[in-house]
Amino acid sequence: MATKKDGKIWTAGMDNAFTGQTLTSLELINETSNNTTLPVLPEVWVLKIGGQSIMDRGRAAVFPILEELIAAKDTGIQFILGTGGGTRARHVYAQALDLNMPTGMLAKLGAGIPVQNARMLQMLTAKHGGIMCYDDDFEKLPLYLRTGCMPIMSGMPPNEFWEKSARIGRIPPNRTDAGVYLMGEFLGAKGVIYIKDEDGLYTDDPKKDPNAKFIPEISAEQLIANQQDDLVVERVVLEYMQRARHMKEIRIINGTKKGNITAALSGENIGTRIYSETNQ
Amino acid sequence: MAELVQGDGRTHISSGLMRESLVSTKLLADTHHEKVIPMVPDVNMITIGGQSIMDRGAEGVLPLVDTIIKAKELGHKMVLGVGGGTRARHTYSIGVDLGLPVGGLARIVGGVEEQNRNMLQFLLAPHGGITFVKDHFQDLQLFLSGGMIPICIGQPPYHFWEPPPLKGGFPDNGPDVGLFLMAEIIGAKTMIYVKDVDGVYTDNPNKNPDAEFIKEISALDLLDRNYPDLPIERELLRTLENARLVTSVRVINGLNPENLIKAMNGEDVGTHIYSQRALDAKNSGDNT
Repeated sequence: MATKKDGKIWTAGMDNAFTGQTLTSLELINETSNNTTLPVLPEVWVLKIGGQSIMDRGRAAVFPILEELIAAKDTGIQFILGTGGGTRARHVYAQALDLNMPTGMLAKLGAGIPVQNARMLQMLTAKHGGIMCYDDDFEKLPLYLRTGCMPIMSGMPPNEFWEKSARIGRIPPNRTDAGVYLMGEFLGAKGVIYIKDEDGLYTDDPKKDPNAKFIPEISAEQLIANQQDDLVVERVVLEYMQRARHMKEIRIINGTKKGNITAALSGENIGTRIYSETNQ
Repeated sequence: MAELVQGDGRTHISSGLMRESLVSTKLLADTHHEKVIPMVPDVNMITIGGQSIMDRGAEGVLPLVDTIIKAKELGHKMVLGVGGGTRARHTYSIGVDLGLPVGGLARIVGGVEEQNRNMLQFLLAPHGGITFVKDHFQDLQLFLSGGMIPICIGQPPYHFWEPPPLKGGFPDNGPDVGLFLMAEIIGAKTMIYVKDVDGVYTDNPNKNPDAEFIKEISALDLLDRNYPDLPIERELLRTLENARLVTSVRVINGLNPENLIKAMNGEDVGTHIYSQRALDAKNSGDNT
Protein backbone atom coordinates (compact mmCIF):
# COMPACT_ATOMS: atom_id res chain seq x y z
CA MET A 1 0.00 0.00 0.00
CA ALA A 2 1.42 3.30 -1.05
CA THR A 3 2.13 6.06 1.42
CA LYS A 4 0.29 9.27 0.61
CA LYS A 5 0.74 12.93 1.44
CA ASP A 6 -2.06 15.41 0.66
CA GLY A 7 -3.79 12.63 -1.27
CA LYS A 8 -0.78 11.94 -3.47
CA ILE A 9 1.62 9.00 -3.66
CA TRP A 10 4.67 9.85 -1.61
CA THR A 11 8.14 8.39 -1.12
CA ALA A 12 10.67 9.47 1.47
CA GLY A 13 13.27 11.74 -0.09
CA MET A 14 10.93 13.19 -2.73
CA ASP A 15 10.61 16.38 -0.75
CA ASN A 16 12.17 19.32 -2.54
CA ALA A 17 11.76 23.06 -2.99
CA PHE A 18 9.13 22.56 -5.70
CA THR A 19 7.05 19.81 -4.04
CA GLY A 20 3.32 20.39 -4.15
CA GLN A 21 3.77 23.64 -6.05
CA THR A 22 2.36 24.43 -9.41
CA LEU A 23 5.32 25.45 -11.54
CA THR A 24 3.38 28.61 -12.43
CA SER A 25 3.74 29.98 -8.92
CA LEU A 26 5.17 33.50 -9.19
CA GLU A 27 7.04 32.97 -5.94
CA LEU A 28 8.77 29.91 -7.35
CA ILE A 29 9.57 31.67 -10.62
CA ASN A 30 11.14 34.55 -8.71
CA GLU A 31 13.18 32.18 -6.58
CA THR A 32 14.72 30.55 -9.64
CA SER A 33 15.32 33.68 -11.69
CA ASN A 34 18.86 34.20 -10.48
CA ASN A 35 20.13 30.64 -10.48
CA THR A 36 23.34 30.21 -12.43
CA THR A 37 23.59 27.60 -15.15
CA LEU A 38 26.72 25.90 -16.36
CA PRO A 39 28.04 26.06 -19.91
CA VAL A 40 27.97 22.66 -21.64
CA LEU A 41 30.59 23.15 -24.38
CA PRO A 42 32.12 26.58 -23.75
CA GLU A 43 35.01 26.23 -26.22
CA VAL A 44 32.87 25.47 -29.25
CA TRP A 45 31.59 27.97 -31.82
CA VAL A 46 28.20 27.56 -33.40
CA LEU A 47 28.16 28.76 -37.01
CA LYS A 48 25.26 29.08 -39.36
CA ILE A 49 25.66 28.73 -43.11
CA GLY A 50 22.89 30.78 -44.71
CA GLY A 51 20.47 28.95 -47.00
CA GLN A 52 19.43 31.58 -49.50
CA SER A 53 22.54 33.67 -48.91
CA ILE A 54 25.18 30.92 -49.24
CA MET A 55 23.89 27.47 -50.19
CA ASP A 56 21.72 28.72 -53.05
CA ARG A 57 24.77 30.40 -54.61
CA GLY A 58 26.21 26.97 -55.17
CA ARG A 59 29.87 26.21 -55.70
CA ALA A 60 30.97 29.85 -56.10
CA ALA A 61 30.07 30.69 -52.50
CA VAL A 62 30.13 27.30 -50.79
CA PHE A 63 33.58 26.00 -51.80
CA PRO A 64 35.68 28.94 -50.56
CA ILE A 65 33.73 28.99 -47.29
CA LEU A 66 34.29 25.27 -46.68
CA GLU A 67 37.97 25.73 -47.46
CA GLU A 68 38.25 28.42 -44.81
CA LEU A 69 36.30 26.35 -42.29
CA ILE A 70 38.42 23.24 -42.81
CA ALA A 71 41.60 25.30 -42.42
CA ALA A 72 40.23 26.74 -39.18
CA LYS A 73 39.31 23.29 -37.89
CA ASP A 74 42.80 22.02 -38.66
CA THR A 75 44.29 24.73 -36.45
CA GLY A 76 42.24 23.31 -33.57
CA ILE A 77 39.26 25.66 -33.58
CA GLN A 78 36.12 23.73 -32.67
CA PHE A 79 32.77 24.50 -34.21
CA ILE A 80 29.41 23.07 -35.18
CA LEU A 81 27.78 24.03 -38.46
CA GLY A 82 24.05 24.60 -38.75
CA THR A 83 22.42 25.10 -42.13
CA GLY A 84 19.66 27.37 -43.32
CA GLY A 85 16.92 26.45 -45.76
CA GLY A 86 16.81 29.09 -48.44
CA THR A 87 14.82 29.21 -51.63
CA ARG A 88 13.25 25.77 -51.49
CA ALA A 89 12.00 26.50 -47.96
CA ARG A 90 10.38 29.67 -49.30
CA HIS A 91 8.81 27.70 -52.09
CA VAL A 92 7.29 25.07 -49.81
CA TYR A 93 6.03 27.79 -47.44
CA ALA A 94 4.36 29.56 -50.39
CA GLN A 95 2.74 26.30 -51.47
CA ALA A 96 1.48 25.46 -47.97
CA LEU A 97 0.23 29.02 -47.41
CA ASP A 98 -1.70 28.75 -50.64
CA LEU A 99 -3.31 25.58 -49.26
CA ASN A 100 -4.28 27.41 -46.01
CA MET A 101 -2.15 25.25 -43.81
CA PRO A 102 -1.34 26.20 -40.21
CA THR A 103 2.03 27.35 -38.84
CA GLY A 104 2.89 23.96 -37.29
CA MET A 105 2.53 22.32 -40.68
CA LEU A 106 4.75 24.95 -42.30
CA ALA A 107 7.38 24.31 -39.63
CA LYS A 108 7.19 20.58 -40.33
CA LEU A 109 7.62 21.18 -44.04
CA GLY A 110 10.34 23.80 -43.62
CA ALA A 111 12.43 21.36 -41.59
CA GLY A 112 13.11 19.19 -44.63
CA ILE A 113 15.19 21.68 -46.58
CA PRO A 114 17.99 22.54 -44.09
CA VAL A 115 18.55 18.78 -43.73
CA GLN A 116 19.18 18.58 -47.49
CA ASN A 117 21.65 21.44 -47.20
CA ALA A 118 23.39 19.84 -44.22
CA ARG A 119 23.75 16.59 -46.15
CA MET A 120 25.23 18.46 -49.10
CA LEU A 121 27.85 20.02 -46.82
CA GLN A 122 28.56 16.67 -45.20
CA MET A 123 29.25 15.03 -48.58
CA LEU A 124 31.58 17.84 -49.54
CA THR A 125 33.53 17.76 -46.28
CA ALA A 126 33.43 14.03 -45.45
CA LYS A 127 37.08 13.61 -46.39
CA HIS A 128 37.97 16.34 -43.87
CA GLY A 129 35.81 14.95 -41.08
CA GLY A 130 32.39 16.41 -41.94
CA ILE A 131 29.80 14.33 -40.10
CA MET A 132 25.98 14.58 -39.96
CA CYS A 133 24.65 15.19 -36.49
CA TYR A 134 20.91 14.65 -36.14
CA ASP A 135 18.95 15.90 -33.14
CA ASP A 136 19.11 12.45 -31.55
CA ASP A 137 22.92 12.47 -31.89
CA PHE A 138 23.24 15.83 -30.17
CA GLU A 139 24.69 14.31 -27.01
CA LYS A 140 27.46 12.72 -29.10
CA LEU A 141 28.90 16.13 -30.00
CA PRO A 142 31.90 15.70 -27.65
CA LEU A 143 32.85 12.51 -29.49
CA TYR A 144 32.67 14.19 -32.89
CA LEU A 145 34.64 17.20 -31.74
CA ARG A 146 37.34 15.23 -29.91
CA THR A 147 37.96 13.02 -32.89
CA GLY A 148 38.55 16.08 -35.06
CA CYS A 149 35.26 15.83 -36.90
CA MET A 150 33.18 18.76 -38.10
CA PRO A 151 29.57 18.20 -36.94
CA ILE A 152 26.98 19.46 -39.40
CA MET A 153 23.37 19.91 -38.35
CA SER A 154 20.15 21.24 -39.70
CA GLY A 155 19.70 24.72 -38.28
CA MET A 156 15.98 24.16 -37.78
CA PRO A 157 14.86 23.64 -34.17
CA PRO A 158 12.94 20.36 -33.63
CA ASN A 159 9.62 22.17 -33.02
CA GLU A 160 7.85 21.00 -36.21
CA PHE A 161 4.13 20.42 -35.41
CA TRP A 162 4.72 22.06 -32.03
CA GLU A 163 5.67 25.42 -33.54
CA LYS A 164 3.43 28.16 -32.15
CA SER A 165 1.47 30.53 -34.35
CA ALA A 166 2.64 34.11 -34.38
CA ARG A 167 0.13 36.83 -33.65
CA ILE A 168 0.37 38.02 -37.24
CA GLY A 169 1.06 35.84 -40.24
CA ARG A 170 1.59 32.12 -40.59
CA ILE A 171 5.34 31.77 -41.25
CA PRO A 172 6.96 29.82 -38.37
CA PRO A 173 8.68 32.36 -36.09
CA ASN A 174 11.42 29.88 -35.09
CA ARG A 175 13.44 28.91 -38.12
CA THR A 176 17.10 28.22 -38.65
CA ASP A 177 18.47 31.44 -37.11
CA ALA A 178 16.55 30.65 -33.94
CA GLY A 179 17.54 26.98 -33.97
CA VAL A 180 21.23 27.79 -34.29
CA TYR A 181 20.99 30.51 -31.65
CA LEU A 182 19.21 28.25 -29.14
CA MET A 183 21.82 25.55 -29.72
CA GLY A 184 24.51 28.11 -28.85
CA GLU A 185 22.61 29.24 -25.77
CA PHE A 186 22.15 25.70 -24.50
CA LEU A 187 25.80 24.82 -25.09
CA GLY A 188 27.01 28.06 -23.52
CA ALA A 189 29.08 28.15 -26.69
CA LYS A 190 32.03 30.43 -27.43
CA GLY A 191 29.84 32.40 -29.82
CA VAL A 192 27.19 32.23 -32.50
CA ILE A 193 28.14 33.52 -35.94
CA TYR A 194 25.79 33.82 -38.90
CA ILE A 195 27.59 33.43 -42.21
CA LYS A 196 25.61 35.32 -44.86
CA ASP A 197 26.20 37.19 -48.11
CA GLU A 198 25.93 40.71 -46.69
CA ASP A 199 28.47 42.51 -44.51
CA GLY A 200 26.00 42.42 -41.66
CA LEU A 201 22.93 44.34 -40.62
CA TYR A 202 21.56 47.26 -42.62
CA THR A 203 18.73 49.69 -42.01
CA ASP A 204 16.76 47.83 -44.71
CA ASP A 205 17.35 44.91 -47.08
CA PRO A 206 20.43 46.13 -49.02
CA LYS A 207 19.48 43.91 -51.96
CA LYS A 208 16.34 45.97 -52.45
CA ASP A 209 17.19 49.38 -51.03
CA PRO A 210 20.50 50.86 -52.26
CA ASN A 211 20.27 53.59 -49.59
CA ALA A 212 20.24 51.08 -46.75
CA LYS A 213 23.00 51.92 -44.22
CA PHE A 214 25.37 49.42 -42.59
CA ILE A 215 25.09 49.00 -38.80
CA PRO A 216 28.35 47.65 -37.25
CA GLU A 217 27.02 47.28 -33.73
CA ILE A 218 23.60 47.56 -32.10
CA SER A 219 21.76 46.24 -29.09
CA ALA A 220 18.92 43.79 -29.58
CA GLU A 221 16.72 46.12 -27.53
CA GLN A 222 17.48 49.07 -29.82
CA LEU A 223 17.01 46.98 -32.93
CA ILE A 224 13.53 45.91 -31.81
CA ALA A 225 12.66 49.48 -30.80
CA ASN A 226 13.68 50.75 -34.26
CA GLN A 227 10.81 48.75 -35.76
CA GLN A 228 12.51 48.47 -39.12
CA ASP A 229 10.56 46.37 -41.56
CA ASP A 230 13.30 43.94 -42.50
CA LEU A 231 16.10 42.37 -40.48
CA VAL A 232 19.07 40.12 -41.11
CA VAL A 233 18.09 37.65 -38.36
CA GLU A 234 14.79 36.24 -37.20
CA ARG A 235 13.07 38.51 -34.70
CA VAL A 236 12.72 35.83 -32.03
CA VAL A 237 16.51 35.64 -31.78
CA LEU A 238 16.54 39.26 -30.58
CA GLU A 239 13.92 38.40 -27.97
CA TYR A 240 15.73 35.26 -26.80
CA MET A 241 19.02 37.17 -26.44
CA GLN A 242 17.45 39.46 -23.88
CA ARG A 243 16.40 36.54 -21.70
CA ALA A 244 19.47 34.38 -22.30
CA ARG A 245 21.88 33.31 -19.57
CA HIS A 246 24.89 32.66 -21.80
CA MET A 247 24.63 33.91 -25.37
CA LYS A 248 24.33 37.66 -24.96
CA GLU A 249 25.73 38.49 -28.39
CA ILE A 250 25.71 37.22 -31.94
CA ARG A 251 27.67 38.19 -35.03
CA ILE A 252 26.68 38.37 -38.68
CA ILE A 253 29.46 38.23 -41.22
CA ASN A 254 29.85 38.14 -44.98
CA GLY A 255 31.18 34.70 -45.85
CA THR A 256 31.56 35.55 -49.52
CA LYS A 257 34.55 37.77 -48.64
CA LYS A 258 37.64 35.68 -48.14
CA GLY A 259 39.20 35.85 -44.70
CA ASN A 260 36.09 36.99 -42.84
CA ILE A 261 35.37 33.62 -41.26
CA THR A 262 38.96 33.19 -40.12
CA ALA A 263 38.93 36.72 -38.69
CA ALA A 264 35.66 36.21 -36.84
CA LEU A 265 36.86 32.91 -35.36
CA SER A 266 40.02 34.72 -34.13
CA GLY A 267 37.79 37.14 -32.27
CA GLU A 268 38.14 40.09 -34.62
CA ASN A 269 35.37 42.64 -34.65
CA ILE A 270 34.00 42.26 -38.16
CA GLY A 271 30.51 42.27 -39.58
CA THR A 272 27.68 43.30 -37.29
CA ARG A 273 27.66 42.57 -33.58
CA ILE A 274 24.24 42.43 -31.94
CA TYR A 275 24.26 42.29 -28.16
CA SER A 276 21.92 42.46 -25.20
CA GLU A 277 22.64 43.98 -21.83
CA THR A 278 19.38 42.83 -20.29
CA ASN A 279 19.75 40.48 -17.37
CA GLN A 280 16.80 38.61 -16.01
CA MET B 1 4.62 25.67 -62.99
CA ALA B 2 7.38 27.09 -60.85
CA GLU B 3 10.31 28.52 -62.75
CA LEU B 4 13.93 28.85 -61.73
CA VAL B 5 15.12 32.43 -61.60
CA GLN B 6 18.82 33.31 -61.75
CA GLY B 7 20.88 36.45 -62.30
CA ASP B 8 21.90 37.56 -58.81
CA GLY B 9 24.29 34.69 -58.13
CA ARG B 10 21.59 32.62 -56.45
CA THR B 11 19.08 30.21 -57.94
CA HIS B 12 15.56 31.07 -56.83
CA ILE B 13 12.33 29.21 -57.37
CA SER B 14 9.67 31.62 -58.55
CA SER B 15 7.13 31.82 -55.72
CA GLY B 16 5.34 34.44 -53.67
CA LEU B 17 8.20 34.41 -51.19
CA MET B 18 11.05 34.50 -53.73
CA ARG B 19 14.08 36.48 -52.49
CA GLU B 20 12.21 37.44 -49.32
CA SER B 21 13.97 37.37 -45.95
CA LEU B 22 10.77 36.05 -44.29
CA VAL B 23 11.48 38.55 -41.49
CA SER B 24 9.79 41.54 -43.09
CA THR B 25 6.74 42.58 -41.06
CA LYS B 26 4.97 43.60 -44.27
CA LEU B 27 5.53 40.17 -45.77
CA LEU B 28 4.38 38.42 -42.60
CA ALA B 29 1.18 40.47 -42.56
CA ASP B 30 0.54 39.33 -46.15
CA THR B 31 0.63 35.72 -45.01
CA HIS B 32 -2.01 36.33 -42.35
CA HIS B 33 -5.10 34.18 -42.44
CA GLU B 34 -7.46 33.55 -39.56
CA LYS B 35 -8.84 30.40 -41.10
CA VAL B 36 -6.47 27.49 -41.59
CA ILE B 37 -7.26 23.86 -42.31
CA PRO B 38 -7.58 21.42 -39.37
CA MET B 39 -5.97 17.98 -39.66
CA VAL B 40 -8.39 15.72 -37.71
CA PRO B 41 -11.14 18.00 -36.43
CA ASP B 42 -13.43 15.57 -34.58
CA VAL B 43 -11.05 14.69 -31.74
CA ASN B 44 -11.07 15.69 -28.09
CA MET B 45 -7.65 16.42 -26.66
CA ILE B 46 -7.51 15.62 -22.96
CA THR B 47 -4.70 16.48 -20.59
CA ILE B 48 -4.50 14.40 -17.43
CA GLY B 49 -2.63 16.32 -14.76
CA GLY B 50 0.52 14.70 -13.40
CA GLN B 51 0.56 15.98 -9.84
CA SER B 52 -3.19 16.60 -9.71
CA ILE B 53 -4.43 13.22 -11.01
CA MET B 54 -1.71 10.65 -11.75
CA ASP B 55 0.08 11.13 -8.43
CA ARG B 56 -3.17 10.31 -6.58
CA GLY B 57 -2.78 6.70 -7.70
CA ALA B 58 -5.79 4.37 -7.98
CA GLU B 59 -8.07 6.76 -6.14
CA GLY B 60 -7.65 9.55 -8.71
CA VAL B 61 -6.81 7.57 -11.84
CA LEU B 62 -9.18 4.59 -11.96
CA PRO B 63 -12.49 6.48 -11.86
CA LEU B 64 -11.17 8.69 -14.64
CA VAL B 65 -10.09 5.65 -16.66
CA ASP B 66 -13.62 4.23 -16.30
CA THR B 67 -15.05 7.50 -17.54
CA ILE B 68 -12.71 7.52 -20.53
CA ILE B 69 -13.85 3.99 -21.43
CA LYS B 70 -17.47 5.10 -21.12
CA ALA B 71 -16.80 8.16 -23.28
CA LYS B 72 -15.29 5.98 -25.96
CA GLU B 73 -18.37 3.74 -25.92
CA LEU B 74 -20.47 6.88 -26.37
CA GLY B 75 -18.53 7.56 -29.57
CA HIS B 76 -16.12 10.26 -28.42
CA LYS B 77 -12.73 10.25 -30.14
CA MET B 78 -9.96 11.16 -27.74
CA VAL B 79 -6.23 11.73 -27.57
CA LEU B 80 -4.89 11.67 -24.01
CA GLY B 81 -1.80 13.43 -22.76
CA VAL B 82 -0.07 13.42 -19.38
CA GLY B 83 2.14 15.63 -17.29
CA GLY B 84 4.99 14.53 -15.06
CA GLY B 85 3.80 15.52 -11.58
CA THR B 86 5.87 15.10 -8.45
CA ARG B 87 8.76 13.37 -10.21
CA ALA B 88 8.96 16.25 -12.71
CA ARG B 89 9.34 18.69 -9.82
CA HIS B 90 11.99 16.49 -8.25
CA THR B 91 13.81 16.36 -11.61
CA TYR B 92 13.75 20.15 -11.83
CA SER B 93 14.89 20.60 -8.26
CA ILE B 94 17.95 18.39 -8.77
CA GLY B 95 18.60 19.83 -12.25
CA VAL B 96 18.45 23.42 -11.06
CA ASP B 97 20.77 22.63 -8.15
CA LEU B 98 23.27 21.10 -10.59
CA GLY B 99 23.16 24.24 -12.74
CA LEU B 100 21.74 22.59 -15.85
CA PRO B 101 20.71 25.07 -18.54
CA VAL B 102 17.01 25.36 -19.31
CA GLY B 103 17.36 23.30 -22.50
CA GLY B 104 18.83 20.52 -20.40
CA LEU B 105 15.87 20.60 -18.01
CA ALA B 106 13.50 20.49 -20.99
CA ARG B 107 15.37 17.48 -22.39
CA ILE B 108 15.18 15.35 -19.24
CA VAL B 109 11.75 16.17 -17.82
CA GLY B 110 9.84 14.18 -20.46
CA GLY B 111 11.28 10.96 -19.03
CA VAL B 112 8.92 10.96 -16.05
CA GLU B 113 5.96 11.86 -18.27
CA GLU B 114 6.68 8.74 -20.30
CA GLN B 115 6.21 6.69 -17.14
CA ASN B 116 2.79 8.26 -16.56
CA ARG B 117 1.91 7.70 -20.21
CA ASN B 118 2.96 4.06 -19.96
CA MET B 119 0.85 3.50 -16.85
CA LEU B 120 -2.21 5.05 -18.48
CA GLN B 121 -1.64 3.01 -21.63
CA PHE B 122 -1.37 -0.16 -19.57
CA LEU B 123 -4.68 0.56 -17.86
CA LEU B 124 -6.46 1.47 -21.08
CA ALA B 125 -4.88 -1.22 -23.28
CA PRO B 126 -7.91 -3.56 -23.14
CA HIS B 127 -10.01 -0.66 -24.46
CA GLY B 128 -7.63 0.51 -27.17
CA GLY B 129 -5.06 2.52 -25.25
CA ILE B 130 -1.92 2.88 -27.38
CA THR B 131 1.26 4.93 -26.95
CA PHE B 132 1.38 7.87 -29.31
CA VAL B 133 4.84 9.30 -29.97
CA LYS B 134 6.11 12.17 -32.06
CA ASP B 135 7.32 10.04 -34.95
CA HIS B 136 3.83 8.58 -35.36
CA PHE B 137 2.01 11.89 -35.27
CA GLN B 138 0.85 11.46 -38.84
CA ASP B 139 -0.49 7.98 -38.05
CA LEU B 140 -3.13 9.51 -35.81
CA GLN B 141 -5.98 8.62 -38.18
CA LEU B 142 -4.83 5.02 -38.28
CA PHE B 143 -5.13 4.79 -34.50
CA LEU B 144 -8.45 6.62 -34.30
CA SER B 145 -10.16 4.79 -37.11
CA GLY B 146 -8.95 1.55 -35.52
CA GLY B 147 -10.87 2.57 -32.42
CA MET B 148 -7.75 3.21 -30.36
CA ILE B 149 -7.13 5.81 -27.66
CA PRO B 150 -3.71 7.37 -28.39
CA ILE B 151 -1.84 8.42 -25.24
CA CYS B 152 1.14 10.76 -25.38
CA ILE B 153 3.42 12.82 -23.19
CA GLY B 154 2.87 16.54 -22.88
CA GLN B 155 6.31 18.13 -22.92
CA PRO B 156 6.82 19.62 -26.41
CA PRO B 157 9.86 18.21 -28.22
CA TYR B 158 11.91 21.42 -28.11
CA HIS B 159 14.46 19.62 -25.93
CA PHE B 160 17.84 21.39 -25.97
CA TRP B 161 16.22 24.07 -28.15
CA GLU B 162 13.89 25.24 -25.37
CA PRO B 163 13.95 29.06 -25.51
CA PRO B 164 15.20 30.95 -22.45
CA PRO B 165 12.18 31.57 -20.19
CA LEU B 166 10.62 35.02 -19.87
CA LYS B 167 11.36 34.82 -16.15
CA GLY B 168 12.73 32.23 -13.76
CA GLY B 169 14.74 29.08 -14.26
CA PHE B 170 12.21 26.56 -15.62
CA PRO B 171 11.20 25.96 -19.23
CA ASP B 172 8.20 28.15 -20.12
CA ASN B 173 6.89 25.29 -22.23
CA GLY B 174 5.52 22.38 -20.26
CA PRO B 175 2.95 19.65 -20.93
CA ASP B 176 0.00 22.09 -21.02
CA VAL B 177 1.60 23.96 -23.91
CA GLY B 178 2.80 20.83 -25.71
CA LEU B 179 -0.62 19.20 -25.68
CA PHE B 180 -2.32 22.42 -26.68
CA LEU B 181 -0.04 22.69 -29.71
CA MET B 182 -0.92 19.12 -30.69
CA ALA B 183 -4.62 20.02 -30.38
CA GLU B 184 -4.03 23.12 -32.47
CA ILE B 185 -2.43 21.28 -35.40
CA ILE B 186 -5.05 18.53 -35.14
CA GLY B 187 -7.71 21.25 -35.03
CA ALA B 188 -9.27 19.39 -32.10
CA LYS B 189 -12.94 19.82 -31.21
CA THR B 190 -12.19 20.42 -27.54
CA MET B 191 -9.09 20.92 -25.43
CA ILE B 192 -9.69 19.85 -21.85
CA TYR B 193 -7.31 20.11 -18.89
CA VAL B 194 -8.23 17.61 -16.19
CA LYS B 195 -6.96 18.76 -12.78
CA ASP B 196 -7.92 18.35 -9.13
CA VAL B 197 -9.52 21.77 -8.74
CA ASP B 198 -12.80 23.01 -10.20
CA GLY B 199 -11.00 25.35 -12.57
CA VAL B 200 -9.07 28.60 -12.37
CA TYR B 201 -9.10 30.63 -9.16
CA THR B 202 -7.61 33.98 -8.19
CA ASP B 203 -5.03 32.00 -6.18
CA ASN B 204 -4.27 28.36 -5.39
CA PRO B 205 -7.49 27.18 -3.66
CA ASN B 206 -5.63 24.35 -1.91
CA LYS B 207 -3.53 26.94 -0.08
CA ASN B 208 -5.66 30.06 0.03
CA PRO B 209 -9.27 29.52 1.22
CA ASP B 210 -10.19 33.03 0.02
CA ALA B 211 -9.31 32.28 -3.59
CA GLU B 212 -12.27 33.02 -5.87
CA PHE B 213 -13.44 30.81 -8.71
CA ILE B 214 -13.45 32.20 -12.26
CA LYS B 215 -16.08 30.80 -14.62
CA GLU B 216 -14.92 32.37 -17.87
CA ILE B 217 -12.02 34.63 -18.82
CA SER B 218 -9.89 35.52 -21.82
CA ALA B 219 -6.33 34.24 -21.88
CA LEU B 220 -5.13 37.83 -22.28
CA ASP B 221 -7.04 39.03 -19.23
CA LEU B 222 -5.91 36.07 -17.14
CA LEU B 223 -2.27 36.77 -18.03
CA ASP B 224 -2.62 40.47 -17.24
CA ARG B 225 -4.07 39.76 -13.82
CA ASN B 226 -0.80 38.09 -12.87
CA TYR B 227 -2.34 35.87 -10.19
CA PRO B 228 0.25 34.34 -7.84
CA ASP B 229 -0.62 30.80 -8.91
CA LEU B 230 -2.46 29.09 -11.76
CA PRO B 231 -3.46 25.46 -12.43
CA ILE B 232 -2.26 25.82 -16.06
CA GLU B 233 0.97 27.15 -17.52
CA ARG B 234 1.21 30.87 -18.22
CA GLU B 235 2.80 30.12 -21.59
CA LEU B 236 -0.38 28.20 -22.49
CA LEU B 237 -2.27 31.49 -22.20
CA ARG B 238 0.14 33.26 -24.55
CA THR B 239 -0.05 30.35 -26.99
CA LEU B 240 -3.84 30.17 -26.85
CA GLU B 241 -4.08 33.89 -27.47
CA ASN B 242 -2.37 33.47 -30.86
CA ALA B 243 -4.02 30.18 -31.86
CA ARG B 244 -6.07 29.88 -35.03
CA LEU B 245 -8.04 26.65 -34.64
CA VAL B 246 -8.39 25.82 -30.95
CA THR B 247 -9.46 29.20 -29.65
CA SER B 248 -10.64 28.13 -26.21
CA VAL B 249 -9.81 25.54 -23.55
CA ARG B 250 -11.53 24.24 -20.47
CA VAL B 251 -10.02 23.42 -17.05
CA ILE B 252 -12.11 20.86 -15.16
CA ASN B 253 -12.01 18.86 -11.94
CA GLY B 254 -11.23 15.23 -12.74
CA LEU B 255 -12.01 14.11 -9.20
CA ASN B 256 -15.61 14.32 -10.43
CA PRO B 257 -14.98 12.30 -13.60
CA GLU B 258 -18.42 12.89 -15.14
CA ASN B 259 -17.20 16.44 -15.77
CA LEU B 260 -15.08 15.03 -18.57
CA ILE B 261 -18.01 13.75 -20.62
CA LYS B 262 -19.91 16.98 -19.96
CA ALA B 263 -16.95 19.00 -21.24
CA MET B 264 -16.70 16.85 -24.38
CA ASN B 265 -20.40 17.45 -24.97
CA GLY B 266 -19.74 21.17 -24.85
CA GLU B 267 -21.42 21.69 -21.48
CA ASP B 268 -20.30 24.61 -19.35
CA VAL B 269 -18.23 22.90 -16.66
CA GLY B 270 -15.08 24.16 -14.99
CA THR B 271 -13.38 27.30 -16.27
CA HIS B 272 -13.60 28.36 -19.89
CA ILE B 273 -10.58 30.30 -21.19
CA TYR B 274 -10.73 31.83 -24.65
CA SER B 275 -8.48 33.76 -27.01
CA GLN B 276 -9.32 37.46 -26.99
CA ARG B 277 -7.49 37.94 -30.29
CA ALA B 278 -9.55 35.25 -32.02
CA LEU B 279 -12.79 36.64 -30.58
CA ASP B 280 -11.92 40.16 -31.76
CA ALA B 281 -11.08 38.84 -35.23
CA LYS B 282 -14.38 36.98 -35.36
CA ASN B 283 -16.35 40.02 -34.20
CA SER B 284 -14.70 42.24 -36.78
CA GLY B 285 -15.64 39.72 -39.47
CA ASP B 286 -11.99 38.94 -40.24
CA ASN B 287 -12.06 35.59 -41.93
CA THR B 288 -9.21 36.35 -44.26
